[in-house]
Amino acid sequence: MKEMIKENTILWKDGTSKSITFIVTKDCQLACKYCYLVGKNTQERMSWEEAKEAIDYILGHEEEFQEESVIWDFIGGEPFLEIDLIDKICDYLKTEMYRRNHHWFNSYRFSFSTNGINYHTEKVQRFIEKNHNHLSIGITIDGTQRKHDLNRIWKTPGMEEGIQPKPEEEQGSYKDVVRNIPLWLEQFPGAGTKVTISSADIPYIKESVLHLYSLGIKEVNINCVFEAVWHEGDDRLFEQQLTELADAIIDGRLYEEYACSFFQEHIGKPMDHEHDNQNWCGAGMMLAVDAAGMFYPCTRFAQYSLRSKPAWIIGNVHDGIDKNKLRPFLTLDRCTQSIEECINCEVASGCAWCQGENYDAADTHTVYQRATAICKMHKARVRANNYYWNKLFRKLELQDYEEQKRKSNHKTCDL
Amino acid sequence: MLQYLIILLDNRSVSYCHYRPHPLSFPSPMGEGVLIPLEVLKAGIVFAMKENLNIQFVYPEEALPVEYTEVIESIDHTKIKPMAQAEEADVLVLTEWQTTDVESVQNATCIISASRQELKANIERVKSLLNKVARLNIVLTDIEAFRDEEIGGYQTLLETLSDALIEVFKTGRMVQLNLLTDRLLLTQMNNCGAGDTTVTLAPNGKFYLCPAFYYDDPSQNAGSLADGLNIKNRQLLRLNHAPICRHCDAYQCKRCIWLNSYLTLDANTPSHQQCVIAHIERNASRDLLAKMEAKGLHMSNTHEIPEINYLDPFNNYQQWK
Amino acid sequence: MEIRKTVGKVTPEERTEIQTLFERKNGLMELAKIINADNTELYEKLVKDMGETSTKFQAWWDAMAKKYQWESVEGGNWEINFETCDISLVVK
Repeated sequence: MKEMIKENTILWKDGTSKSITFIVTKDCQLACKYCYLVGKNTQERMSWEEAKEAIDYILGHEEEFQEESVIWDFIGGEPFLEIDLIDKICDYLKTEMYRRNHHWFNSYRFSFSTNGINYHTEKVQRFIEKNHNHLSIGITIDGTQRKHDLNRIWKTPGMEEGIQPKPEEEQGSYKDVVRNIPLWLEQFPGAGTKVTISSADIPYIKESVLHLYSLGIKEVNINCVFEAVWHEGDDRLFEQQLTELADAIIDGRLYEEYACSFFQEHIGKPMDHEHDNQNWCGAGMMLAVDAAGMFYPCTRFAQYSLRSKPAWIIGNVHDGIDKNKLRPFLTLDRCTQSIEECINCEVASGCAWCQGENYDAADTHTVYQRATAICKMHKARVRANNYYWNKLFRKLELQDYEEQKRKSNHKTCDL
Repeated sequence: MLQYLIILLDNRSVSYCHYRPHPLSFPSPMGEGVLIPLEVLKAGIVFAMKENLNIQFVYPEEALPVEYTEVIESIDHTKIKPMAQAEEADVLVLTEWQTTDVESVQNATCIISASRQELKANIERVKSLLNKVARLNIVLTDIEAFRDEEIGGYQTLLETLSDALIEVFKTGRMVQLNLLTDRLLLTQMNNCGAGDTTVTLAPNGKFYLCPAFYYDDPSQNAGSLADGLNIKNRQLLRLNHAPICRHCDAYQCKRCIWLNSYLTLDANTPSHQQCVIAHIERNASRDLLAKMEAKGLHMSNTHEIPEINYLDPFNNYQQWK
Repeated sequence: MEIRKTVGKVTPEERTEIQTLFERKNGLMELAKIINADNTELYEKLVKDMGETSTKFQAWWDAMAKKYQWESVEGGNWEINFETCDISLVVK
């Protein structure tokens, strides 16, 4: 019966790969209202020299990077703004991994999260053609034009000086992205998109997910932001949207071909404090490097991602990684960073957190204080999720029953 | 649960731990007056009385005005004093190696802060001290600079001290040396307890997790006498919230949260250096116990120390998880 | 029209072996697009490696086909699903 339900794809080499992120630029064409990158700017662009030095350090210390596989990740701002640099980096990575007989030559990917605006350009297309077998590209599109344009607006010249456009001056980016979706899906048929939900987006969740399906995107990875942005009543509205979405997916049999990460069978259960005590986030297992050649446990610990804390720098391309500064990450577990309410929560499983946001929102300089702003949204999700699975399983059960009955009637007739 | 209040009587109170006081490195809120204002001292004592805290006064080199002495003596307390003010000290901080020869160390509890290099250079003075004091606390001041290549050197240094202890024990004096005898007597962690069992009151009337945080950056306070104690994320200072330490049996380790904050950036996570040093000491304690047993020397309440095959418990963390 | 049918399974170890060869083959192919004959040292290594990897790749399929005796048809190909270790017979 479960074979009839499409599930979200498991990440490539999940758990066995090292993710190494190049923050190639802190610039972006857009100024999304929910973007956690508070320090975006046009100045901090990675130089080739800095990138090369980072690569030489990483590949030159194979003993420190024992993971079987590697995901070379490129992030911004908007990474494709630096396609020339990325192309040079990837060529150098391939050549050097091969020349050094590095074990990662047999198992690597180049990964991108892009706003999709430059996807069709000649340079990006040439890059895709050259590296297609090793590429994973996600284009972010938030749903319907109304929902997408609510947050994902073009940057205006005044924004760098802190001048916000008036609502009537805001220009959404939907049309500039959606035109590239068919090409993207043709080149990467199984690709999924990532949708971020903030308070203002809640009324548009159902229509947005269904819209993305209608564009041919079969996997929608969607999550609520971790920041404390939620208002009174948001959880009820969220639950209502998800319930309506559940009805639409089940009644329209969309579950057979499409997946939405909001609906996961095994979330919303209590968690054992001993056996289910692992950390949620991969910070510390990952590595990020920025234009200044600084290393971070993940991009969320770079200064441009942090509202109220200093950057958590774990080394640099010249001196290498200070392993002491990674120890707090590598010893993190669920219970030590959680309050009693979370440890004993009856719907704990699937409640996510971002280590960077935990650090940013913490009362002290620590990654051990779990931010709980998402609590009521998770609980609302769990209620809608329970509804989804109860309804879906009952439907499939009845279908199965009808099928059995039909077969059994058929046999009776044969007799 | 809080049990102790450390009161720094002066911006230049003697350092008795890993940190170095930097009295001139930041402007005193009281201008030139480096001494704790009498009103702050009195209020600190009242705070301790109301919270049922034992007070430890940390003295500067200079003598205190008489009115201060009267206030201090109004409450039961412990005096941590530099050699220059040795009289009536409960704990004597030896600030210069030359002072190790003076009479006042006899049967005293003494603290000496030194780098490994300094210890090695003055090993004869340390041996001599062991023959006089009741207890000696050696505080290493260069933990952050420790490198794995120096493991052997530190082991040798502790072996020398261990042999010196044996010689003293043979005379019947069961002197205590924190680095080697504490672990023999402990059955659970005996960390410094900064922010958990102990809090510090500075001359500016503000609370700190320990003196090191005050000297490092006076803005990182944990409340004040005026506004009350405010230790944020206090649970993270406790042993059960320290993923590496809660499994560890280097019970003598001070688990210095100031060094943690400085080296790993998180108060509940010890550095590789701190762990390795503590385990070298733990293992040296084990060797000392074996030597004592071989020579028929007995110290009461000692406990067996199991053999282990690591120096940094972080390397075993995946098994403990 | 594509016809696909599961005809067998390999062990996870066997899967890992062919997956590594598959990844290496792809890596060499994409590397070949940027290494030219002027880079004598790498070019020669690459050409030799491509030949050796292809041989090993084919040898794996030959050995597995012999070992498991999978169903086959003329004009059909076997494909492996790296996640499930399943072998499918595909006719296009």
